[in-house]
Amino acid sequence: MRHNISVNNRRLVHLVTLLSAFAISACGGGGSSSGGPPPPPPPPPVTKTEAFQVLNQASFGATEAAADQVIQMRIEGWLDNQLQQPASLQLPHLLSLPRPPVPGQLQPDRVDIWFRNSLSGNDQLRQRVAFALSEIMVVSQLGALQQAPYSLASYYDMLAENAFGNFRDLLEHVTLHPAMGVYLSMLGNEKPNPALNIRPDENYARELMQLFTIGLVELNIDGSVKLDGQGMAIPTYNQQIIEGFAHVYTGWNYAGAPSFQQARRNVQNQTIPMQLYPAFHDTGAKMLLNGVVLPAGQTGDQDLTGALDNIFDHPNVGPFIAQRLIERLVTSNPSPQYITRVAETFNDNGSGVRGDLGAVVQAILLDAEARPATPADLDGKLKEPLLRLTQLWRAYDAVSTSGRYPVGAAYILFGQGPLQSPSVFNFFSPFYAPSGEIAAAGLVAPELQLATEYQNTLHTNVMAVYTFTWNSANVANLNPDDVYIDISEEMAIADDIDALIDTVADKLLAGQISTTLRAEMANMLGRIPEPNGEAARAAEAIYLVVTSPEYAYQR
Amino acid sequence: MNSLSRRNLLRLGLSSAALASLPGRTFAQAVAQPAPFNDYKALVCVFLFGGNDSYNMVVPRSNAEYNVYAASRQNLAIPQANLLPINPLNSDGAQYGLHPSMATMQPLFEAGQAAFVVNTGPLIEPTTKTQYQNQAVALPPQLFSHNDQQDQWLTLKGQTVSGTGWAGRIADLLRDNVAGQQLALNASLFGNTIFQAGANTVAYTMGPTGPLPFTGFADTGIGLEQRLAFERIISANYDSIYERGFADVQQRAVATADLVTNAIANAPTLNTVFPAGQLGTQLQTVARLIAVRDRLSLERQVYFVATGGFDTHDDQEQLQPGLIGGISDAIAAFYDATVELGVANSVTTFTQSDFGRTLTSNGDGTDHAWGGIQLVVGGAVVGRTLYGTYPLLSIGGPDDVGGGRMIPTTSADQYAATLARWFDVDPMDLPTVAPNIGNFTTQDLGFLA
Repeated sequence: MRHNISVNNRRLVHLVTLLSAFAISACGGGGSSSGGPPPPPPPPPVTKTEAFQVLNQASFGATEAAADQVIQMRIEGWLDNQLQQPASLQLPHLLSLPRPPVPGQLQPDRVDIWFRNSLSGNDQLRQRVAFALSEIMVVSQLGALQQAPYSLASYYDMLAENAFGNFRDLLEHVTLHPAMGVYLSMLGNEKPNPALNIRPDENYARELMQLFTIGLVELNIDGSVKLDGQGMAIPTYNQQIIEGFAHVYTGWNYAGAPSFQQARRNVQNQTIPMQLYPAFHDTGAKMLLNGVVLPAGQTGDQDLTGALDNIFDHPNVGPFIAQRLIERLVTSNPSPQYITRVAETFNDNGSGVRGDLGAVVQAILLDAEARPATPADLDGKLKEPLLRLTQLWRAYDAVSTSGRYPVGAAYILFGQGPLQSPSVFNFFSPFYAPSGEIAAAGLVAPELQLATEYQNTLHTNVMAVYTFTWNSANVANLNPDDVYIDISEEMAIADDIDALIDTVADKLLAGQISTTLRAEMANMLGRIPEPNGEAARAAEAIYLVVTSPEYAYQR
Repeated sequence: MNSLSRRNLLRLGLSSAALASLPGRTFAQAVAQPAPFNDYKALVCVFLFGGNDSYNMVVPRSNAEYNVYAASRQNLAIPQANLLPINPLNSDGAQYGLHPSMATMQPLFEAGQAAFVVNTGPLIEPTTKTQYQNQAVALPPQLFSHNDQQDQWLTLKGQTVSGTGWAGRIADLLRDNVAGQQLALNASLFGNTIFQAGANTVAYTMGPTGPLPFTGFADTGIGLEQRLAFERIISANYDSIYERGFADVQQRAVATADLVTNAIANAPTLNTVFPAGQLGTQLQTVARLIAVRDRLSLERQVYFVATGGFDTHDDQEQLQPGLIGGISDAIAAFYDATVELGVANSVTTFTQSDFGRTLTSNGDGTDHAWGGIQLVVGGAVVGRTLYGTYPLLSIGGPDDVGGGRMIPTTSADQYAATLARWFDVDPMDLPTVAPNIGNFTTQDLGFLA
């Protein structure tokens, strides 16, 4: 409930700021003639480069149309507008489709609706943050949820709907979602039975803390590891605490079943919060974090509230979530000061509210480190493979004849797909540092873990298909589900090599193209004969950009 | 340095950082040029992601010991009559059997081509239950956590921070000996792994069926131009570490793909039939690459293959036959392939996994534990033996730190050092490979000859 208040508070603060600005200017109305300070000069207009920069951080890829919008609204205004956009959803779409004999056959449709929302939803920032959260609070189609596409869609919708809400709410929704219940085996977890050596399942207890909220060791506000007197890291929890939480998470199963043991998945109950079956909840005392002990005899709901409050209040959550979200959106190696500023916003949004994710997202994207005066000063990150694809498809209005984007094998083609992680540890580790200069400098490059020789080659080859074959000049030869890019504008100017390069560079790189890439494009384009080479030239130009290191770099 | 020589060096697995330091090495190399091995050996690591419940893989079947096992494991116990009997040459008084899904491994064990290392896991120094409880010894940090304990197995780093794995450090140690190889010493068929990260060497990562050629690249005509343009773009100077990191991978990919693809294309057809699935596919590719070892001048290789699904918090009884049977069938087929290729004595396959699992149940599954059992297969294996000490599987017993989590009595360092020694790492260099080995009296467990 406090979280609705938090949103209202933010609006209120905003309103108050506006009103007081108005009041000041109204009072000072006659002051200009009496020698008061001149009004500050209007801020310089947002450049296209700056617009692309924020859009690559805050959407599924910059486009010239989106950049125009950002330039017109200014970055703050565009973000304010994005924070108000309602979530584009997946589940209604899946429920509108005929039910296949095997539920898992709907997984490509789930990926389809993910692409539709991610490519063209008005709630770009919300969807991008949901995607980031789906890589932190991981559930996956690969494994026990293969036959639960509705559950996965509903989980993703839940992330989108809570992307700008309060983190404490998000924790509760994640914890009680049956997709998470299945994936980390809290669903069906029951109180101990010592006679049979049965004790509660520790899976969710462990990963909720290690991966979703606080991590393994105590952190300073700037994300660095806190050390004890001997210079050693301080563990956040021990096995006894894991067991305490494991006992908290007992007694939950699919909602609406005749009994705990008779709970079975159906289309409806896989999309609504799990239900407590009190007889299966352990009622003993439970050791939590920081010396907190839940008393014996509480209900399962009381235990859950106490446990999630206990985690939410841990000082690690701010720096932990700040760093994870900064890494997903802006840069792999944020400065300690940047993490501190965002963590402090998590701890208090300015109105005394802890965990306001909308404020956290704003703090991340409006920070000086994300918005340097000179855009090239941004350290940035490598783009995730899927985001390299969505940027291309957004910039080139990619569609299929069927209207669908059923890239069900995204996790194979790109090494990642929506809710298709190989494990709860996501597609890559936040700590990945390839040996060589990155490791030597003490830096990380998480996305580079996916960039193996094999995966990069496969990606490059897929891009060859998506440019040379699946394009608007070749629609007659494509299957209805083949997603093709619109190269008509490039074909129209294909006889002018410089103009063609400029157009592609404008659409994909905000015009910031290296001399090497430009020279090699000119070289290759000059080798493709005219006439009738228009499509080949257009595709060649796009292919060379989207497979280049500079396109892979989100700067 | 022109791009061709750079490419050749990258092919050897040298990183950009290493290239930068090459001139400084020349004199030392000229003084003591390490000799090539003039023979072939491969280590094949089969990593079982998630933590294999290996106390259901090798199970006591003599009545007294079985009864302790069954009392601890309750509904997760394998019925005594279903165990596949094995007859180790060394005896601790008990009799043992294999999980019923291991019908392909049972004859290999009995014939002496397979061994198990029991109750092994990450340790910094020998550890008793009392020492554990009193925190009287150094322990690997974050016991029972997946990624941390995977890292322990793969890096043996103990309480230090390490960016290298033990196979990566082997490659660093041997890189001058294998300078003639056309492929990096380390090759992965399962993505980037810290196991193979060296300070001065880089692993080559291919797909489960080998590397891919680049679409549209050719040796003549426009395909050649396309390739050259691509190569020049990825060889340009970039300001950002992220671009350079990405471009480095692309350079290795272009430099190596054709070489390996062509070599595999010329590999002899294997008669051995591999089981379908992730592990079988990867091991079949490894066999095909080993078949063309001479064409690529290969003398020492470490392959990394892997499969997942072992994190059986749920439905363990239903899942385990497929998981354990899958290991058995794929590794047995791979052994057959090495026999067919005449290299059985030169190839050693070994498993690693996050951790063993709790002997107690959470209802229908198990949770994260510590010590477990690993499988070693190959012609060089001194087989039909259980290495290490099989623990008493009682809850609250002398090796249990709670819930049936066994303290390892043989360390992952000893396991790795034994493999490294067979691989001809100098005994003086074993502490580089296995940093905690000096804390254990036995450096070579003797399972390889």
